[in-house]
Amino acid sequence: MIENLIAGFAFILNPGSIAAALSGIVCGIVVGALPGLSATMAVAVLAPFTFFMAPEIGIPFLLGVFKAAIWGGSISAVTINTPGTAAAAAMVMDGHALARKGQARRALEISLYSSVIGDLFSTILLIAAATSLAAVAVRFGPPEFVMLYLLALVTIASVSGRHAPKAVFSTGLGFLIACIGLDPMSGAQRFTFGNTDLIGGIGLIPLLIGLFALSEVFTEVEKMRPRLEFLKVGQDEPRATLADMRRVAPAVARSSGIGFFIGILPGIGAEIACWLSYGFAKRQSKNPEEFGHGSIEGVAAAESGANAACPGDLVPMMVFGIPGDTVTAVLLGAFMAQGLIPGPQLFEKHATLVYGFFAVLLISNLMLLGIGYLFIRYLRGITMIAPGLLYPSVVALCFAGSFAVNSSYFDLGLTVIGGVAGYLMRKLSIPIAPLVIAMLVAPGLENALRQSLLLSDGSLAIFVTRPIAAGLLSVITAGVLLVIWKHFRSTQPPKETPA
Amino acid sequence: MKLSKSMAITLACTALLTPFWASAQPFPNKPLRLVTPYPPGGGTSLHASIITATAEAFFGQPMISVIRAGGGGVVGATEVMKSANDGYTMLFGDPTLNSLRPQVEALPFKIDDFVPVARINYSPSIFVAAANAPFSDLKGMVEYARANPDKLVYSSDNLNGLTYVAFEMLKKASGTRMKGIEFGGGGPAMTQLLGGNTMAYAGLPVVVADHISSGKVKAICVTDTVRWAALKNIPTCEEAGTRIIWHFWLGAMVPKGTPQDRIDMLSAGFEKMTKDPGFLALIGRINSKVDYLGSKEFARVIADEQKDLKVLYDSIKK
Repeated sequence: MIENLIAGFAFILNPGSIAAALSGIVCGIVVGALPGLSATMAVAVLAPFTFFMAPEIGIPFLLGVFKAAIWGGSISAVTINTPGTAAAAAMVMDGHALARKGQARRALEISLYSSVIGDLFSTILLIAAATSLAAVAVRFGPPEFVMLYLLALVTIASVSGRHAPKAVFSTGLGFLIACIGLDPMSGAQRFTFGNTDLIGGIGLIPLLIGLFALSEVFTEVEKMRPRLEFLKVGQDEPRATLADMRRVAPAVARSSGIGFFIGILPGIGAEIACWLSYGFAKRQSKNPEEFGHGSIEGVAAAESGANAACPGDLVPMMVFGIPGDTVTAVLLGAFMAQGLIPGPQLFEKHATLVYGFFAVLLISNLMLLGIGYLFIRYLRGITMIAPGLLYPSVVALCFAGSFAVNSSYFDLGLTVIGGVAGYLMRKLSIPIAPLVIAMLVAPGLENALRQSLLLSDGSLAIFVTRPIAAGLLSVITAGVLLVIWKHFRSTQPPKETPA
Repeated sequence: MKLSKSMAITLACTALLTPFWASAQPFPNKPLRLVTPYPPGGGTSLHASIITATAEAFFGQPMISVIRAGGGGVVGATEVMKSANDGYTMLFGDPTLNSLRPQVEALPFKIDDFVPVARINYSPSIFVAAANAPFSDLKGMVEYARANPDKLVYSSDNLNGLTYVAFEMLKKASGTRMKGIEFGGGGPAMTQLLGGNTMAYAGLPVVVADHISSGKVKAICVTDTVRWAALKNIPTCEEAGTRIIWHFWLGAMVPKGTPQDRIDMLSAGFEKMTKDPGFLALIGRINSKVDYLGSKEFARVIADEQKDLKVLYDSIKK
């Protein structure tokens, strides 16, 4: 393996490949940072151009776009409270809270370092054990996915603050919205009222943009006063320190593991990984009360989890030709158009090239560190723009972003509805995160549940007779019991802090 | 390929800049749009990106790939059906969307809302079984299903989808009962087969071929009248004992009412494209088989297919 990797480095360390990876990273950060333009779209739009390039140019470019876009999504999450991609949704929880305190640079730097560490960890695992891990990942059948989605839902409990009934309401709303569209198995129309636009379901991204960004603008407009003064860029501007990184290290380590694991499972990726990582970090943190109010652990966990999922996603794609998530589904196409048919024989037929790509993943991590640093230096200035100038631009960006997803006017309406709903939810202190998580989880959960019950002829026993499913079920049960126990223990002495 | 690269970039720039000028020039005088009704990464979007990347040389205008996924293809198809019938917006259609489903499901569009322009490719399905399945050929598979009704669990795609129909044909022809689980598409369906959660699957060569040659799955038979060129050792289903012929095509469709001369021009453009060595080289890399049919011939083939699928569907559902 080591000799393969060395051959891979030798093959890929040429000006063309390096330049391609570099420009991919710059494109990726920009696209990721623009709300509505997701990593999937970036790769889908740019992939056809790589068909005409040699594989050692085209693929490094796309890999650069992929990983940089996932990090780039955090820039807008921190600076304007809008996740640039769904994978950055967990970042708005704490990243923007830090920015409000004038610590945008600190938040962005911690996110960058965590992203690079998570990605690096995950890439090393990919190189070391892709084949054997993929063999485990495909054993995940519908019952195992049901349990995994339930686990994600349990983490809602940890991101929803102290208002359990309100969080349940928000979760339920998310599930109901996710039911709109075509029934995934029978194809019957649900809650569409004959409206063609609703057949495709409610798009997550347009709604997300409304819920987070537009509602923030509404709240600020209501205050009718500038929230952020022009901040002076002085020497006292807080930066990420070694002490910060030491403090977030456990969260980063845990989230990298979670992210990689979620990544290697076919069909789910960074969007779920960021929330699971965030939830676990809060559960394990010594300072859980900081979460949602600018916790650097929250920032680090969300980002390292999301970025660790990227190399993980490549595992099933390269070993079995099965995409780990939607971005790798597009990457799969780009590989195939290069004559590199991902699958069992890719590693034998094209060893040098494949290890060359692994080398690119490692090198581009370092590049992301450098380029990301430069971006932060200038982009954190966004939070210093006077609100009177910033918010109109945010509104324009919101609509441009949600239109870009599907070129659909209907989605613009969705963004407005999301904005109003988000505003009301803030007013009533109903947490928004559970709704987003429920919408992310619901389609997969529904499919997996119905597939499992088909497999078992309707018997729920299938969830305990399969070892992996049963193992996950016990983790969930333990988690729920722990939450209940903590709740009762903490409510014994009535020491309620306002959330 | 150096030249083509710069061509591609120019093409992208033109695509962005051209919409507003020169409306007096003959058709097409602005970029064409090819709508893929499925998510990126699948067979359809892969073909569409190759077609749109090479199109300008054959149509005199760039062609933009528009991905409009949702509702198992219904959303994109509906959007094209409602678009102006001026020839600029095309649907990248297939047999389930354009032949079968409008006849048997309540969809927002009808079969004759679309006019065929050109068939681009055409491919059979290959039945495969898990490496540890208790059967290795079609006869064994049918016998197993007969002896164990509803115990043969297979990976399916969507209701009335490619795999779904292939297995309905097999069940009908063999008089057996098997249990299909819909996984939404070929990728997840194949994953479940590889993971040992299901026993069989039927899919396009591009999805199954590599797994067959690596021995991860057992090839059963090809749903065609002749064997698949790249895997000559797999028998046709007819040779293996049960006659099943089921083809999957991808082709361009326009909304009804599009002027005939524009349909002819588009059709001619696709014909030139499918004969171009550069295009064929790209399409060959993804294991696809180009099989062009012009508008009229394509319409006749589809009409026959629609009748056959309706008869089949009725015979299965009764």
